[in-house]
Amino acid sequence: MTTASLPNPASGWLRPLAGPGAAASAQNAARAVPSPAPPARMSPAHDAFERQLAPLWQRAQAGDEAAYREALRLIAARLRGYLRRRMQSLPDELEDLVQETLLALHLQRGTHDPAVPVSAWVLAVARHKLVDLWRRRGRQEALHDPLDDVDEAALAGHEPEAGSARDLGVLLAVLPAAQRAAIVLTKLEGLSVAEASARTGASESAIKVQVHRGLKRLAALVGPGRSPGGDAA
Amino acid sequence: MKTDELIQLLAQGAGPAPRAVAARRLAPGALLGLLVSAALAAAWLGWVPVALYEHLGPWFKLAYAGALALAAAWLAARLGRPVARTAGPLAAVAVVLALALLLGLGSWWSLPAAERAAALLGHSAAQCPWNVLALSLPPLAAALWALRGLAPTRPVAAGAAAGLFAGALGAFGYALACTELALPFVAAWYTLGMALSTALGALLGPRTLRW
Repeated sequence: MTTASLPNPASGWLRPLAGPGAAASAQNAARAVPSPAPPARMSPAHDAFERQLAPLWQRAQAGDEAAYREALRLIAARLRGYLRRRMQSLPDELEDLVQETLLALHLQRGTHDPAVPVSAWVLAVARHKLVDLWRRRGRQEALHDPLDDVDEAALAGHEPEAGSARDLGVLLAVLPAAQRAAIVLTKLEGLSVAEASARTGASESAIKVQVHRGLKRLAALVGPGRSPGGDAA
Repeated sequence: MKTDELIQLLAQGAGPAPRAVAARRLAPGALLGLLVSAALAAAWLGWVPVALYEHLGPWFKLAYAGALALAAAWLAARLGRPVARTAGPLAAVAVVLALALLLGLGSWWSLPAAERAAALLGHSAAQCPWNVLALSLPPLAAALWALRGLAPTRPVAAGAAAGLFAGALGAFGYALACTELALPFVAAWYTLGMALSTALGALLGPRTLRW
């Protein structure tokens, strides 16, 4: 863990100035606070991910929504690759876990320490969500069928689509009315917090709180093997 | 739900990332926990008589517990983040502990042999660690609640940091009521009480720090 805090100019992080990541590297080098190298065990593919993500993420954290959207897309693609290899027995639930992790990253984006490579932070959260899934599974497996006899060959060609079986409308219907209204107005209809406040009569800070709580509730619902409450599913 | 649909939803109106999340989460609970501990200590044992503050002992307790609380709060705040950088706060905790133990030991060595046992055991050595542990429970609940709202990925370490933080706050509360004056006593039994709280936190971490 502590290796992440030690700048290591010898690693592949700032070196390939002439490579395809040159623009991103130059952008990084120009930053006021130099980013330390990711831990040495990271693969070249991971370094590329970091180079691509870091500048976007920095703008996203400062409030650039377009950069945030782009960063989340990059992260989603990386998470799919990371989790697919580790969830071969549960391919149908891969996208659920990708979505649960994205929600967790969004809710916890304030816990990213700018001195830590954002890719390491993303994967630490993904690992946490994966371990959490296995723990929940472990408990369920004790009661239900084991997964050992799943035919791995039949799964090999299975390409998970980029969507989960859950429907956003169904998930939103489970939320309390105030949380649902806050999310629908600010997140789906694209109103500003001030406009949503004027529309509902709730204060601006109340709208923000309801959005945050609603997303937290959604995060608790979208995970693999979780039921979106009662008969709503 | 398409993942891209979710991404649109998250990014829409997202604004800048919240700042100082750990401090904003830890500070109110810690303050409340400290007040509850101090109030409990006062109601249960009564405040230290003002005259005792002419001695070094009460100030040593408050300084030790206060400094350790700050270092442990820093550690807990770091462990509330995925990929925690803990070297700095761990060093701070180690320095505070080492200073307190050295002062206690130095004071012990400087005493005539006949007085050493009394300075170490005082009149409440058997109760002190347990009292510290008991008074650390309110801040421990607050600290674990605070960490749960962050993103700790090392629950044992984060729980231990919460326990150390709560132990230091509990010790601070207890110091307002404890009439022992000898430094060796404080270095030994306050430290043991805070160690118990740390162990309890480490035990509770994996059970409570789910997110």
